[in-house]
Amino acid sequence: MKQQQVKLGIREYVCIAFLMIGMKGTEDTPSMLFSHVQNAAWMVPLLSGGLFFIPFFLLLKTLSLFQDKNVFEVIQQLLGKYIAFFVSFIIFIMNSYAISLDTRTYTNIIRAYYFTTTPRLVLYGILMVVCVYAAKKGIQRIGSISYILIFYVALSFFIAFWLSLDDSQFASIFPIWGPGKLELLKAAPSGLGLWGEFFILTSLYSFMTSFKDFRNGTWIAFGCVVIQLSLATMLFIALFDKGLVVIGYPFHVAIRYISLGEFLPNIETLFFPIWLSAAFIRFAAFLFINALIFGHLFKIKEYQYLIPSLATIYLLIGMIPETPNDVAQLKEPLRYIAGPTFAAISIILWLTAWFKGEFKHAKNKNNM
Amino acid sequence: MPKIKITCNLLLFLAIVFLLSGCWDRSELENKAYVIGLGIDRSKYEGKIKVTMLIANPEVGSMQGGGGSSEKPREIITLEAIDIITAKSTANAVISREISYELLKVIIVSEEFAKDKEFLPTLFTSIQDKEIRLDTFLVVCKEKAYEYFQKNRPRMETRPHKYFQYMIDHGIQNGYIADSTLFRFIKTIERGTDLALAMYTTAEKEKNPPNRGEDEYIAGQLNVFGELDDTQFIGSAVFRNGVMTDILTGQETRIVNILDDTVNIGDILINLPDPFSDKRQQIAVRILKTENNTFKMNLKGAKPKITITIPLKFEIMSNPSMVNFADSEENRQILKKHIAEDTKISFEKFLRKTQTELKGSPLPLSRYALKYFATNQEFEHFNWEKSYLEAEIIIKPDIQIIDYGKQLRPKK
Repeated sequence: MKQQQVKLGIREYVCIAFLMIGMKGTEDTPSMLFSHVQNAAWMVPLLSGGLFFIPFFLLLKTLSLFQDKNVFEVIQQLLGKYIAFFVSFIIFIMNSYAISLDTRTYTNIIRAYYFTTTPRLVLYGILMVVCVYAAKKGIQRIGSISYILIFYVALSFFIAFWLSLDDSQFASIFPIWGPGKLELLKAAPSGLGLWGEFFILTSLYSFMTSFKDFRNGTWIAFGCVVIQLSLATMLFIALFDKGLVVIGYPFHVAIRYISLGEFLPNIETLFFPIWLSAAFIRFAAFLFINALIFGHLFKIKEYQYLIPSLATIYLLIGMIPETPNDVAQLKEPLRYIAGPTFAAISIILWLTAWFKGEFKHAKNKNNM
Repeated sequence: MPKIKITCNLLLFLAIVFLLSGCWDRSELENKAYVIGLGIDRSKYEGKIKVTMLIANPEVGSMQGGGGSSEKPREIITLEAIDIITAKSTANAVISREISYELLKVIIVSEEFAKDKEFLPTLFTSIQDKEIRLDTFLVVCKEKAYEYFQKNRPRMETRPHKYFQYMIDHGIQNGYIADSTLFRFIKTIERGTDLALAMYTTAEKEKNPPNRGEDEYIAGQLNVFGELDDTQFIGSAVFRNGVMTDILTGQETRIVNILDDTVNIGDILINLPDPFSDKRQQIAVRILKTENNTFKMNLKGAKPKITITIPLKFEIMSNPSMVNFADSEENRQILKKHIAEDTKISFEKFLRKTQTELKGSPLPLSRYALKYFATNQEFEHFNWEKSYLEAEIIIKPDIQIIDYGKQLRPKK
């Protein structure tokens, strides 16, 4: 039952990355950013993106030395068996925590706005079953689906934002520095958590056609997502103004508010299926990567078979918080820890590689 | 091996059966009673409100061609309840179908309750119901809300959802009433720096209605008679800090709507005094607002200075003094200057009234001030609500006359 190894092209990789991280604009991230730095929230993705660029650049540089290995194998080679296991295990735990809470957030959204009386467990179960099904098909399939889907996702976002422009007032993003420059700078590190997914996406490298594709794809996706998140946040600020504080999921409130003229007043059902498919892709890719890490940690070759059991565990963890508010509270520490941790690991990797003289080594090899 | 495979596949197939139970959120049109209008009044009991529901009959008017039913198009019930969310189930004691707010169009609040401090908390708990959409309109009525619903008997548009939709949409297009969706209303309240407006209506005609210009009325003052429904939508209620304090006339609401770029008004028809007539005749003009206003502020000095440039296009519809515009550049200039002056005077007069009487700006003016500050703290320190009252506001109409109407030969 060995799956045929079709490599992941640059466009599929960019699409997966865009769907995985760009979806953050449609859940509670914008209002979370707003609650910290108010009307300057749109700057946080830009600032933290700029901040994350440095360690991420170093990470890609380090990875380029070992062109046939993925990030976890590189960690193992550089940090030694035991520390590498510890580091990878931390990454795995953080990801598991993140995916559990994120899937729960999506279940909450679906339950709050679309299926209000269906039991939470049923919705959650169906979400997980679909994601497991997609994840088990392998990352190549996920890549192809995201490539098909990306156009519709982008189009539906664009239409939603364009329709909401009518009620937006861009003057609301002023005063330009929001709560003050210092506060903004303080908020940037906590925004690093937004980009944690890019770190784990690097583990997909072994599925890519070439390192060049991988590197270029990552930067393209990174640029797109930083701009997209910042723009989405800005639009929500312009649309909701100070009200964004009390709105949990601004994207969904916005699509329930906008209308296509008098004739088609309630159009959220047009956006919902597209958003839902994008969510499936996001978690399918997330599940796949987590299974990959787990397989690497415990030397399990057929890691695809881990996906259903991992998903069940995530579902059980995700069911623990009782209310959506608890979920938001539990997410908060992750936001502060995840980003800096990933940044730190990247820098440590680069430093180790530097001290060990891997860069010189590679240079010599090239010269020879 | 194949046996196991077949069994597994069959089991998987059986799993599809579970999907059939996914009908928790199934809703049948037949089973639902759609509330189109919701009235909220003060109750004589402590901690309660009087909820009125206007329920539309989906069968009426939906039939294509023959058939049709002889049922009434609507049902109105009023009951005392703690909030509108639980009122849904209480109302089911009298209404046979399941009550739903999904198609709610208007929330009507009596003036008496709107002036109460309890109003805002009640409204905020009400809209926590997930079925209520933010594009629902908030309306203030002069009488009690339940009386309003009972008296409001449209003759032509008997289906209530169509009636309210058309009435409100056209009112906003004409600029007579404020565009007060819950979304806009709540946004303004949350912001806290400006006055919130809600459209004003009544189904009660005043006994001795005054005689004024074409739009200087508030609901109930318009003297219309004939074979019609007495409901009038004109003017708007002003809310300061969440409590209703005043009423704007149709004309004043129009000024607000012209000044506020976030409102989509259509073209407005008004009368202006004719500069060429000595018998106080009036000319009819159509005003088009196609471009956004520009707001310039100087907030540094002791007295803030706000300059608003309003680009307006005018179409002259009538010409009572039979002036020749076609050949005389001078006449055209006189008219343009006159219109500009007239607009400036009426707008500035109104804005002065907002400073002295209403004590706040009925349009989101504070948003335009934001960009003159670097941080939120500076803006808070500036204290917009207070500074606005002392500000010097200058209106600069940028008039363009795009049509002088039909040119008739002047009387010899």
